[in-house]
Amino acid sequence: MAEFDMILDDINPEDIDLPVVIIGAGHAGVQVAAGLRTRGWTGGIVLVDEEGGLPYERPPLSKDVLGPDETAEGGPLLRKDAFYASKDITRLAGVRVGSIDRGRRVVALDDGQELAYHRLVIASGARGRRLTVPGHDLSGVLSLRTAADALAVRGELVPGARVVIIGAGYIGMEVAAAATKRGCDVTVLEFQDRVMKRVTSEPVSEFYQQLHRSKGVRFAFGAAVSAIEGEGRVERVLTADGRSYPADVVVAGIGVIPNQELAEAAGIACRDGILVDEACRTSDPAVYAAGDVTRFISTFGGAEMRLECLQNAQQQADVVADTIMGRTPREAEVPWFWTVQFDVRLQTAGVMHPDDDIVLRGDPATGKFSVCYLREDSLAAIDTVGSLADFRQGKKLIAAGTFMDRTALADPAVRLEDCVLETAKIAA
Amino acid sequence: MSVITIDVIDREGSRHEVPWEQDQVLMEALRDNDLPVLASCGGSASCATCHVFLPEDVYPTLPERSEDEIELVEEAPGFRPTQSRLSCQVHYADRFDGMTVTLAPEED
Repeated sequence: MAEFDMILDDINPEDIDLPVVIIGAGHAGVQVAAGLRTRGWTGGIVLVDEEGGLPYERPPLSKDVLGPDETAEGGPLLRKDAFYASKDITRLAGVRVGSIDRGRRVVALDDGQELAYHRLVIASGARGRRLTVPGHDLSGVLSLRTAADALAVRGELVPGARVVIIGAGYIGMEVAAAATKRGCDVTVLEFQDRVMKRVTSEPVSEFYQQLHRSKGVRFAFGAAVSAIEGEGRVERVLTADGRSYPADVVVAGIGVIPNQELAEAAGIACRDGILVDEACRTSDPAVYAAGDVTRFISTFGGAEMRLECLQNAQQQADVVADTIMGRTPREAEVPWFWTVQFDVRLQTAGVMHPDDDIVLRGDPATGKFSVCYLREDSLAAIDTVGSLADFRQGKKLIAAGTFMDRTALADPAVRLEDCVLETAKIAA
Repeated sequence: MSVITIDVIDREGSRHEVPWEQDQVLMEALRDNDLPVLASCGGSASCATCHVFLPEDVYPTLPERSEDEIELVEEAPGFRPTQSRLSCQVHYADRFDGMTVTLAPEED
């Protein structure tokens, strides 16, 4: 802290007239801009967005935007058009930042403009990892990250189309459900032995596999894609075991890569993400980062991680706004996530680890159950299907680190918040 | 576009006059006018950070809560059966002009 303050005190007093420049207008970028105004920042705010239109929500892109009768031209707007002008937020849309000159505190835009900053916030997000196998660049091979991507995918999901999805993560599974609802013939290829393995346990994977299968989705597990073939356009996907899957369209959902290149080129410390401290400061105290692009030490569990979720983007944005204004940020919220597939919502609080003990609450066959993840007897994470009550109570218990009673947990008739160990009750 | 004005009582008990435009849900009107509404799910009825109390005479005139909203709001601090709504689920109507909306307590 002390050395940061010293460095910051070196700012030329004239610089305080300079704006906060924000790179990226996803949830994090827009929330920093809005949050600064809410907190009384009176200086300039410039939001640089390489996409052309108004900033929009991303979670619906792989859900409602792909709906059967949907005609929306993108995600719902994060803020209405008039909001930015009314808050004196300057939006530069369709412009890329070419480089950051930290010495001069200036960012250079691709159109030749230079923007001097008082503070810089990098909220450049992440991009979908691209396939590298032969044929990855054939027409009809798509991924989904932006509104334009979503519209391209939707345009291909016509009744009867043979859709091969590579990767059974959240995005792959959401697209599989949407494509099926639109009348497509869907096959999901997954390298692991079950769906959503990185983020959830076997009972939840099994539940969603069954749900998808009941609607006609086919799965191939242990499937390593080796090539995509076709004459100018995709016709089939080949896997290492010699199988061939006919395809009119391929959608790859194989993870994301943080957009850290600008920061890296400017000498800001990065390691699979821009490294930030608990105040979202990068290794340059005048430069902050927020959202999917960051890597940080979690308040819950102490592990170093990137968190690709809306909640983290919003929270880090609030931390940035607080820190720029010299305020103490509010306590960190337990991370949480959701996915909706065939109208069935999985809502998760906390981040599970494969070594956690799991306790199943309720019978998945009823469509209403939770999986508790225990680490040294404390609740570390919870997956809930059809049980938002468990989700909300679970989130509080994770934050509190309370010791849990495994026998009680296994009984869905006992409220989650009543499943704490007797000794913990006494201590409380 | 129509705009109405509502009275909003924040968590400290202060009163604010807030313009509510036709194309906004109540959460957006609150958030865009700098009231401390986190709306951490972006308005998809996945959290309860936009929980508000509506006047008892207005509450019954609204469409019923969805199952998700019921579960979320019933677990929210300060839940009032005949007043609690997630403001992201409350759509604009001219007849709300002049109504008083109270921000519910935040989670502990």
